[in-house]
Amino acid sequence: MNALRRGVRNAFRNAMRSVGVVVILAVAIALSISMLIARDAVNAKISSVRSSTGNTISVSPAGFFGGQGGGTALTTAQITGLLSIPNVTAVQAQLSERLTSTQTNLTSPTTAGSLGARFGGGFGGGGTPTTSALSIRVIGTNSPGNSLVGGANGGGTEKLTSGVAFSPTSTADVAIVGTTLATKNNLKVGSTFTAWGKTITVVGLYDAGSTFADSDALMPLATVQTLAAATNQVTGATVVVNNLNNVSGAATAITKKLGTAADVTSTQATVESQLAPLNTVKTISTYTLFGAVIGAALILLLSMLMIVRERRREIGVLKALGATNRSVVSQFIAESTTFTVLGAAVGFIGGILVSSPITSALVSAESGSSSSPGGFVRGAGGGFGGGGSGFTPPSGAVTAGRFRFGGLSNTFSQLHTSVSWSTLIFALVAAIVIAALGSSVASATITRIRPAEVLRSE
Amino acid sequence: MLNVEKLSKTFKTEGGEVHAVRDVTFHAADGEVVAIIGASGSGKSTLLSLLGLLDAPDAGSIEMNGTQLANLDSGGRTKYRAREVGFVFQAFNLIPNLSAKENIKLALEFSNWPKNDRDARADAMLAMVGLDANKASRRPNKLSGGEQQRVAIARAFAAQPQLILADEPTGSLDKATGQKIVQLLREAANTQKTTVLVVTHDEKIANQADRRLEIEDGALTEIA
Repeated sequence: MNALRRGVRNAFRNAMRSVGVVVILAVAIALSISMLIARDAVNAKISSVRSSTGNTISVSPAGFFGGQGGGTALTTAQITGLLSIPNVTAVQAQLSERLTSTQTNLTSPTTAGSLGARFGGGFGGGGTPTTSALSIRVIGTNSPGNSLVGGANGGGTEKLTSGVAFSPTSTADVAIVGTTLATKNNLKVGSTFTAWGKTITVVGLYDAGSTFADSDALMPLATVQTLAAATNQVTGATVVVNNLNNVSGAATAITKKLGTAADVTSTQATVESQLAPLNTVKTISTYTLFGAVIGAALILLLSMLMIVRERRREIGVLKALGATNRSVVSQFIAESTTFTVLGAAVGFIGGILVSSPITSALVSAESGSSSSPGGFVRGAGGGFGGGGSGFTPPSGAVTAGRFRFGGLSNTFSQLHTSVSWSTLIFALVAAIVIAALGSSVASATITRIRPAEVLRSE
Repeated sequence: MLNVEKLSKTFKTEGGEVHAVRDVTFHAADGEVVAIIGASGSGKSTLLSLLGLLDAPDAGSIEMNGTQLANLDSGGRTKYRAREVGFVFQAFNLIPNLSAKENIKLALEFSNWPKNDRDARADAMLAMVGLDANKASRRPNKLSGGEQQRVAIARAFAAQPQLILADEPTGSLDKATGQKIVQLLREAANTQKTTVLVVTHDEKIANQADRRLEIEDGALTEIA
């Protein structure tokens, strides 16, 4: 029986102590594994968010926003020119127009109310009488696909409930109509209405979850430019950047390119603050991860030290019989490695099992303790312009915060935890580090034990 | 043949220097059993430590069959202990979680005894000390004191050492068993031509040796 086999066998010499050491190691290793998995999941989520959320920049003519203010419309050339800016992946151009009662047979589902009277009902809408209907907002867009997942129509999230979207380059006289407007005018897919003297066919219906956003109609950009005699005019654009980290640089480049002709705003800061809880969880999990590994090593170190002190005489006997220091140290390293391997095996399985609830709990706790940024986040096509008699936050102004970032918070609790090869490799490396650190002091103590002590202690 | 010349060892304590072994000189032939008697604290165990190379002397020489041992380095001392010295302790000092046979094989492993022969050698040693085969697989706590000491003797002689150092080998045993153990040591020494040094304070045990030496305050004298 060589030293290694003796070491493995010694690990089971005191069953009670062995179980205790293995259980404590397993708990520490489970904690470190779950923290590693949580960290990986949070990292993946942060990367995903950075590349898909808050990575948009709103561009609108200087002094104009959501049908309010003044200024001069931007041109299609100016907006498409933004595609040449580094890290810009797409530019969604919009032309926001109003159809008065003389330009369409549609009836607005919303009356001006007291707010409409106070603010003039927005671009072309409202008016003096609080009971009069507002004008119909028509948004020309070159990216109906993106419009239907938020952005073009006041920052809301439009979901296509029936029909189809038109193509980005369409010049057809077609529209996708908000459900509130459709209900008011008995519109369905295939129905028609008139606008600027043309017959427009409804190809789809959408629902954005707010009366304001659902009172609009989306049409191809080129069609609206032609029909509204606004050739090459654009009243807003959403610039998509490849990653949240590049938003600031892209916004600066856009400002430089368009000069004073445009107002350029981004939601980067808001998303960064929303990501703060995830970054905190990442930090906590990193510290806990290393803390647990060091803790496990300390537990093993103290256990092995206790075992060496307890077997001091036995070590002396082994040396008196001719065992080399290396042989005795190998025996104890084998013993500590046995503890570590058993603890790692149990801890690895335990860590995988508890990683998901621990990650959720950490994220929930952090999300709950962090204050969400309030206030209005302006979407490209939002702003004041609605009506209503009471005070309801303008939906276009707050949808960005309520839908998009609210949705981001919701996805925090839906983090996907998984075990990767790197987790397995970490478990292996951690076990080696724990075994090495755990047996280091014991090994040093063993080499200092003199065989003569066996006789002296007789 | 063991030749010890002017061997000395001094320990520094808070109360000053203690001369545990002073200018000890003696010789012992192969197969000879030598008893070293002395009171507690006389330096018996220190002398045994020096002869077993468990400790290094301050001065003097130890020569075993022509080889100088006192100046060996740590590796050399370990090798010497493994191959040329066998220890028998008062408290047996068997490894508790190994069986009787495994304890014997431990000494064979350290001495690099051929792997394939270790089993047979261990069985032979158990037979030599009069232990039944059914005791071979028992752990020390399942053996009597006398049986444990027999295993310890088997372990000490297993690697065919030139020198056996027995420190109060009968100290933990009753008189009858102690007599048997000493007899066993004598027989093993004769059979294997091994020099046996027995440290004891029991005159009756000492009287069974070929020669008797007395140690007092670290100094050794031969008793006629």
